[in-house]
Amino acid sequence: MLLIVVLVLLAACAGLGYELMRTRRQMLVLRAGSAESEEELKRLQASQSQVIHTTKLASLGQMVAGVAHEINTPLGFVKSNVEVVGDLLDDYRKLVRQYDAAVQICLQPVDLIFNADKASLDKLVKHVEEARRKLFEARAAVEKSPLLKDAKELLGDASEGLTQLSSLVLNLKGFSRVDRDGMDTMDLNEGIESALMIAQHQLRDRVKVVRHLQPLPKVRCMPSQMNQVFLNLITNAAQAIDGDGTLTIASKAEAGQVQMDFTDTGCGIPDDVLPKIFDPFFTTKPVGEGTGLGLSIVHKIVKGHGGTIKVRTTPRKGTTFTVSLPVNGNGTAAAEPA
Amino acid sequence: MTDAPATALRILMIDDESRILRALKALLREHTAFSTTNPLEAAALAKQHDVDVVICDQRMPEKAGVDVLREIKETHPRALRILLTGYSDLKAVLGSVNEGEVFRFVNKPWNNTELRDLVAGAGQIAREAPVIARDVLPQAEHDRARTQVGVLVIEDDTAVQQRLREILQPYYKVNFANNAERALQIMEQNETGVVISETEAGRNDLTGLLKALKLHHPHIATVVVTERANASTAIELINEGQVYRLLLKPVRMGTCRLSVDSAIGRYWQLKQNPQAARRYVAAAPNAASATSALRLPAALLNRIRSLPGRLLGTMRA
Repeated sequence: MLLIVVLVLLAACAGLGYELMRTRRQMLVLRAGSAESEEELKRLQASQSQVIHTTKLASLGQMVAGVAHEINTPLGFVKSNVEVVGDLLDDYRKLVRQYDAAVQICLQPVDLIFNADKASLDKLVKHVEEARRKLFEARAAVEKSPLLKDAKELLGDASEGLTQLSSLVLNLKGFSRVDRDGMDTMDLNEGIESALMIAQHQLRDRVKVVRHLQPLPKVRCMPSQMNQVFLNLITNAAQAIDGDGTLTIASKAEAGQVQMDFTDTGCGIPDDVLPKIFDPFFTTKPVGEGTGLGLSIVHKIVKGHGGTIKVRTTPRKGTTFTVSLPVNGNGTAAAEPA
Repeated sequence: MTDAPATALRILMIDDESRILRALKALLREHTAFSTTNPLEAAALAKQHDVDVVICDQRMPEKAGVDVLREIKETHPRALRILLTGYSDLKAVLGSVNEGEVFRFVNKPWNNTELRDLVAGAGQIAREAPVIARDVLPQAEHDRARTQVGVLVIEDDTAVQQRLREILQPYYKVNFANNAERALQIMEQNETGVVISETEAGRNDLTGLLKALKLHHPHIATVVVTERANASTAIELINEGQVYRLLLKPVRMGTCRLSVDSAIGRYWQLKQNPQAARRYVAAAPNAASATSALRLPAALLNRIRSLPGRLLGTMRA
């Protein structure tokens, strides 16, 4: 009897020991697993910030490309004109020199006339007639010369080009807001304009831009982030339009809110895609062409500013993104979403 | 404009920015200029005024410069074509080679002296050098050409070599080289009309070789097949290498065969009509020393220079 009890106890102990060992092993496995998934999480976070960085670089690249084109055209004619005007002035100086030479020839007879005989006087008369003709020609050449008029026109173009260039630089400064940091008050219409300028090279050849921008109160926001929102929405619209189309941008203020509509005549968004458009990494573009972060960043920034973003879309007809922001946003936008 | 001297060229300029046109007109004032901001009327103007040189902007709302130049190439092939651009994306550059066959690619802002010289040189060539109307040969002649003219492939990736072998071997006399040294050996021994090449082999740059080859033997047609495409290298290959076609990897059978067929046609016709080769002459590198500009060892450059004319099908002057 005792033996049986001992045996049963022993068996129970063994069972417990075994159970304990198994639990311990499972715990180890679990711990390893959790370490692994922690690592996985870290890797994912790292790769996400990598992608965000890449997206930033991609939009920087886009910006540089667009701006390079916008700058190089005025730079092209300004640079050329300034040099050509130099050449024209040289040509003009030549004309003036010829005129001077003609004047000199006219003055010579005066010295000769006093001690001249009859034959020389006849020669002198001829000389004077010839000299007068030359002087007249040289004078006419100076007067008729288009050189100064051309030079003036070229300088006029050059000065307009310089105005274009400085407004570009001003726009760029406004876009990047590198001179300011954090929250500020901003005229969102200006942000829209500078984003349009930067997206110019994607629009210019084929997308017509219609502006219905009403005067807006200044909005408290992070300007560089708002500019990124505008650039992303404009770029998306440009990409949604295959061939020629129109992008209409409207802004208005009412009841403490500023509302901006970005309407394109593009391909629209299919029903099955629509719920996912603000998800990070969701993209319908081929691998390598889109990161799927554009709209998720837009969403994050607008939310961070206490605003909303809405979409209305009709497949094959177009899409409207509506961004609404409170004028006196107390935005928690401090976190850097992009 | 009727009293312009005989040396004055007739130049057509197309840009949607009228101030660019005015600047170019002033810069090239010793020539007779025709200009328009409307690319749609460019081809008609080129023909109507029998122009020698066309300078065209790339980005215009109505029509891209590449398309304008392609059209002028068809309707008025005598004119030499220059593409002027503020910013070059790769697609435009590829189009300008493969479709527009531009003579030079010039970036805004341009250098006045260089542009003036370029236009003067191009105009001279346009007036003096005969035109090859179509590169593609009639069938019988093409069959004769492809059995005589060697096609040289410079490529060190064995998979790509294999792919090109499959595409080309059945139709052409093909030789393969995986570096510049070997390529020259082949060219010293065989008549080579078409060179198909990567821009690099085994980390060594091949563009210097391609440029030197074209500089000294402008009738050879080079087809660059690359996976390392970027706009600035491509522009260099146009201006200093007068590359015939620029294709991106992966190699497609159809495009590749078409390109090689017409490259052979181009070479074959230049062989019979060596004066026309002036139309495809590459710009000499501006640096004082060609060896350093082309990044080529002097020995290799000398061998390129002295490639025997009999193998290249031209009488050497």
